[in-house]
Amino acid sequence: MSRTIIDYLEKQKDNSCTAYIDGDTEVSFKDILGKAKVIASNLSAYLKPGEPAAILSGRHTGTIAGYLGIVYAGCYYAPIDGEMPVSRISKILSLLNPSVLITDAEFRKTAEECGYSGKLLSLEELSEGTADEEVIRARTAHYDGSDPLYVLFTSGSSGVPKGVLTGQESVMNYIDAVCEVLDVKEDDVLGNQAPLDYIAAIRDIYIPFLTGCKTVILPKKEFAMPSLLFRTLIRNGVTILCWSAAGLETLARLKAFDCKPEDLPVQLKTILFSGSVMPGKVLRQYQEHLPRTRFINQYGPTEATASCTYYEVDHVVAEDEVLPIGVPYRNYTIFLRREDGSEAEPGETAEICVGGPGVTIGYYKDPERTALSYIADPRDPGKRLYRTGDYGRYREDGLLEFHGRMDRQVKHFGHRIELDEIEGAAGRIDGVEGCYAYYDREKEVLCLAYAGTALKSDIAKAFRKDFPAFMVPRKVTQLEEIPKLPNGKTDMSKLREILKGQ
Amino acid sequence: MEELLKVLGEIRPDVDFAGETALIDDQILDSFDMIAIVSAFDEHYGVTVKPADLVPENFNSAEAMLAMINRLKK
Repeated sequence: MSRTIIDYLEKQKDNSCTAYIDGDTEVSFKDILGKAKVIASNLSAYLKPGEPAAILSGRHTGTIAGYLGIVYAGCYYAPIDGEMPVSRISKILSLLNPSVLITDAEFRKTAEECGYSGKLLSLEELSEGTADEEVIRARTAHYDGSDPLYVLFTSGSSGVPKGVLTGQESVMNYIDAVCEVLDVKEDDVLGNQAPLDYIAAIRDIYIPFLTGCKTVILPKKEFAMPSLLFRTLIRNGVTILCWSAAGLETLARLKAFDCKPEDLPVQLKTILFSGSVMPGKVLRQYQEHLPRTRFINQYGPTEATASCTYYEVDHVVAEDEVLPIGVPYRNYTIFLRREDGSEAEPGETAEICVGGPGVTIGYYKDPERTALSYIADPRDPGKRLYRTGDYGRYREDGLLEFHGRMDRQVKHFGHRIELDEIEGAAGRIDGVEGCYAYYDREKEVLCLAYAGTALKSDIAKAFRKDFPAFMVPRKVTQLEEIPKLPNGKTDMSKLREILKGQ
Repeated sequence: MEELLKVLGEIRPDVDFAGETALIDDQILDSFDMIAIVSAFDEHYGVTVKPADLVPENFNSAEAMLAMINRLKK
């Protein structure tokens, strides 16, 4: 009998220590589980065990209770951050087609605007009443570690978000492994940066249940105001940050370290970062200002449950240094796959494929895409591998290096962006005749060149309406025409020349 | 003020900078916008916004930003 997420959560059911802090609100393990069970009992009237439930809500502990409530109801959750544009929420809901959409008071209006025709439930109302342990036991009795825990939506090249369906065992396996590397103790305090519907948040949500530590949900506006953020980190005694590299970079670019020594969060024991390549010059600033802090570089896709390899930085890095992505976490395997499917030799660059229990179930309602990306492991055909679409290479010392993408996907501030999706969206704007999306790696700016009569502000407004902020091109260039090659493809070298002259 | 509204409008054409008074507190501006705004202030007005100046009171409205720019210019 495999371990289930219920076993995992129930370990803390009598623990009255704080699990999550959100502003002035503190909630204990016992209370959040109690609330989750009330939600589960109320939800059972609307959901059959094994179906997905969507939850559209904000950045607070109620959202976490909602996720766990869905789990206790024998179902799996599809988290959607309320800050996302309505049109994107609509796309997710029409793909998922859930029988219920749970929403908090803050985003009720958004939920009503997104054209969802199923049952709309209030998170606050679901949290009222008493828990029915009997119902919960009956609904979760069927659980097996391979049952889904959540489905997370990420950018897809066709313009339709992809839902990554993830099993309970994948998440527990990852949390076990990452806690081992982070060396999390009961008295540690995590500082949550990621939106709660984002893969990175699974650490902040589930690590407390394994270790008894707590997570502080950091206020979003403070990321734009680093001195306030540092004060919050110090006041709450935060010891571990698991952030996107981009989040750390943003603070550095806002000159966060340009402060008095006593205002630095020197109590930080470990900072783990992932999501994009950490520039050496940024990491070095952190190392210089926080000399006692450990830094860990982590790599991996949502499809392999957050991450699959890590590298603990063991020296002060050079400004132009690129860190390796290191070695696999416990229970993860790496297979470097040549185009013909065979395994690459050390020193050879090939596609990084991931094996082990961290490999997720697949793309929601998309068997074709799943079959392309989730393949049989040539070393053990009964097992599966996930093809990341990233290039990797082993160094002589056995550490893995990241060598970029095979397709047109880019990482911008830690978020995946498919340039094809940006072009598709720009092409649908009135007055855009042709367009080309690209990424300026140097300045870290998402750029769009277009031809047509649309104004630059039309483009920005159209993107703001349909996409999260990180997907809005920040540099927009209007051209007479997009140069084409005889085969109809964009003439890249000519375009680059034109853009240089702008 | 007109010049400032133009600078801010380039960064966020969808925001009514003349009317909003809680740009930070209502999370209308995020950290990407702040990076762009700080570098635009440097470019257009030659002022360096220090971390100590990065507080909601200085960025909640265009008026507050203008007052801060004028303070920093001195």
